Amino acid sequence: MGKTIVPALRGIDFAVEQGAFLSVIGPSGSGKTTLLNIIGCIDFATAGTVKVGDQEITSMNDRQITDIRLHKIGFIFQTFNLIPVLDVEENVEFPLLLMRKHSRSETRKRAITLIEAVGLSEYIRHKPAELSGGQRQRVAIARALVTKPDIVLADEPTANLDSVTGEQILTLMKAMNEKEKTTFIFSTHDHNVLKFAQKIVQLKDGLIVQNQ
Amino acid sequence: MELIFKIAWRNILRHKGKSLVIGVILFLGAYLMTIGNGVIAGMDKGIGENIINSFMGHMVILADKERSDNVLFKIYGKSVAPIYNFVQIKKVLQDDPDIKYFLPVGKNAALILNEESDMGRAFLLGVDFKAYRQMFPDNFDIIEGRFPKNSERGVLIPAFARKECYDFMNIWLLPEGGKVIDSNLTPEAKENKKDLILKDQEVFMGARDDNATADVRVGIKGIIKYKALNAFWGHFMILDIESYREDLGYFSAYEKTESVPKESQALLNLDNSNLENMFSESAVVVADKKREEIKSLKPAVRVNIAPLNLDAGAYNLVFIKLWNGANLDKKAALLNKKLKEKNLDVRVVTWKKGSGVIGSLAVIIKGILFGFVVFLFLVAVIIIVNTLSMAALERVPEIGMMRAVGAQKSFVRNMFVAETSVLAGIFGGLGIILGAVTVFVLPAFHITTQNDMLQLLYGGDVLNPILNTGDIFLAIGQLALVTAASVIYPVHIAKNITPLDAVVRD
Repeated sequence: MGKTIVPALRGIDFAVEQGAFLSVIGPSGSGKTTLLNIIGCIDFATAGTVKVGDQEITSMNDRQITDIRLHKIGFIFQTFNLIPVLDVEENVEFPLLLMRKHSRSETRKRAITLIEAVGLSEYIRHKPAELSGGQRQRVAIARALVTKPDIVLADEPTANLDSVTGEQILTLMKAMNEKEKTTFIFSTHDHNVLKFAQKIVQLKDGLIVQNQ
Repeated sequence: MELIFKIAWRNILRHKGKSLVIGVILFLGAYLMTIGNGVIAGMDKGIGENIINSFMGHMVILADKERSDNVLFKIYGKSVAPIYNFVQIKKVLQDDPDIKYFLPVGKNAALILNEESDMGRAFLLGVDFKAYRQMFPDNFDIIEGRFPKNSERGVLIPAFARKECYDFMNIWLLPEGGKVIDSNLTPEAKENKKDLILKDQEVFMGARDDNATADVRVGIKGIIKYKALNAFWGHFMILDIESYREDLGYFSAYEKTESVPKESQALLNLDNSNLENMFSESAVVVADKKREEIKSLKPAVRVNIAPLNLDAGAYNLVFIKLWNGANLDKKAALLNKKLKEKNLDVRVVTWKKGSGVIGSLAVIIKGILFGFVVFLFLVAVIIIVNTLSMAALERVPEIGMMRAVGAQKSFVRNMFVAETSVLAGIFGGLGIILGAVTVFVLPAFHITTQNDMLQLLYGGDVLNPILNTGDIFLAIGQLALVTAASVIYPVHIAKNITPLDAVVRD
C-alpha cells in the first residue's frame, strides 16, 4: 500500500494588508487551518513561497523561523493555548521573557496593561485551570498582542465558546485591531461572526473561491 | 533561566507521581552509593590499620634477591629469599629516629606431615616470641593453652589454621596438655567428636624452592584467634625462629654461634644457587619420609642451652613500625637510600606493596561495588528515561504551544534538564546527605562481628565506615552522570515536538 497524498491547499495566491481584520471561512477540510499554519510558520508549503513582511520564510532554518514567530506573529489557538503551570500574568509575559530585551518592570507593565484591556485584572494570579474557556481565550489574546506583533493568527477562536462569549472575544479582537493596528487573520466556519470581518477569504477544497 | 526553573519547579509539583518515582530512584541510588563509599573507605582504612598494627607494621624489608614485593601471600610453594645480614641491617634501623619497632621474621610456606593421613599446608611465621609481643602486643587472643616463654620452642596455631588442619587432615590440634573444648570445636568436629584424632605436636617440612629443608617436630603451645581479619592472618602459624630456621634449612643462630668455623664464614655469604652448585644434591634433605620416620622425629629440645644471639641467624623479612605513618612512600625511599649506601642487599617496601592483593582489597571491592552501582544506575536510568519520555509525550500541546509562541529548542531542552536537575539536586542531594549522616552515625553503634567474611567488609572486627570529601564528590559526580544520561533521550523527544504536532494532537 502506498501513501495517498491529499493536498490541503492548491495554488493559493493572496496578500494581506497591514492592519487588516481578515476572516478565512470555509467548510471543514477546506484548508483553513493549514493556511493559517503556513502563514504562522508552523507548517510549510510543499511548493511556493510565503513572505511575512518583507521576509521570505521558505528558506529559513528552525531557529530563524522560531524567531519570526516570536517577534512578528501572535497566536490564538482553539484550545491548547496557555502554559498550565503559569498564572495569567506569567502566561502573558511569557513571549516577552523569551525575547529577553525588556526590563522586568517594562515586561510587567505591558502584561498588566493588556490584562486590564481584556478585562482580567482580578484574575491576574489565577492559573488557566481556574479560568473559564472565554477567560482563557482572553489571556491568549493578551499574550498574542504583548510582543506587538505584525500579525495575530486565530484558528477558530470561538469554536469552543458559547455565542455570547464568542462575540465578546471577537469584539475584543476587533478593538485591539483598531487600537494597535495589528493585522488579524482568523478562521471560522461560523457565519455569525463574519459581521466582524473587514475582509473574507472563502476556501473550498484547498482553493480560494471568494476573496472580498 | 529564572523562567525555566520556575516552570521546571511547578511542573515537578504538578506531576507529583512521576516526580516522586524519579526522586525515589535518585534518592536510593545516591543514598546506597554514599553508604557504600563510606563502608569501602572504612574497609580500606581498617585493613590498612590492621595490617600495620596486627601483622606487618608500616614497612617491610626484604632481600634484593626477592623478585616480588608481595611477600605476604605468595603463590604457594614459592619461597621468600633469606636475609643473612640482619645484624648490619639492625644498626641502620636502630639509628633511624622515625622507627618505633622492628621485628625480623622468617616467613615461608611449609608442609604439615603426619603419620595418619595426607599432608597439610601452612604458612609459617618464625619469630622471637618476646620481640613479637613487643611489636604486636594485642593482635590476638589465646583461646587455648598459653603464650610461649622466652626462648622456648613451640608453635602457636591460629583457630583458622586448626580448622583447616581438621578439614584437610582430619586432625584436631590441641595445646600440649590441653583437652578438647566443646565450644571451640567446629560443627563438623563436634559431630565426630568421639573419632577425633588429637595432636599436640606438629611436624613441619619447610617448603623452599631449592628443597634444602628439614623436618621439625614442635610442640603446640597455644591456640590463638586474631582479633580481626582472622581469615587472613589465621593462615600463619607462629613458630619460634630457631625451629623455623632448622625447618627451612637456614643457618640457625645456634649453628652460627656454635658450629660454623671462621674459615667457613665466607660460605654464609654465598647465595643459595652457589651453595647448590657446590653441594649438588647432597645438601638436599629429601622430604618424602616414610611415616615411621616421621613418628621417630623427636621434638626440638635445644631449649635454653645458652643465651643465643638470635640476630645472627637467617630471616626472610623485617617488619617495621614507625612513630608516624604519614608520608610512607617518602620514608621508605629515605630508608632505601640508607640501606643501599651500606650495600646491605635489601630493600624496603610499604605495607601496601608487601601485602599484595590484601593491601589492594579495598580497591578491588570498590571496583566490584562500582560495577554494581553502574548496574543499579543503568536500571535507574532506564526507568527515569521511560518516565521522562512519557512525560514529554504527554506534554506535546504545552511544548508545541511554547514553540509556537517563540520558544527555541534550547529553551525546551533547558526546561527538561532543569526539571531533572532539580529532582536530582533535591532527592539525590538528600540521599547523599542522609547517606553521609548514616556513615557518621554508624560507628556510634559499635557494630562488631566475628564472621570472617564480614570482617573483610568491615576491614576489621568493628564496622567503622568513613567518608572523605573525595567520596562525596564522587557521589555527586555519579549523580550528575545519571541525570545527564537520563535526560538525553527525553530531551531529544521534547526538542523535536513542533507546534504542528500540538495542532495535530489538538
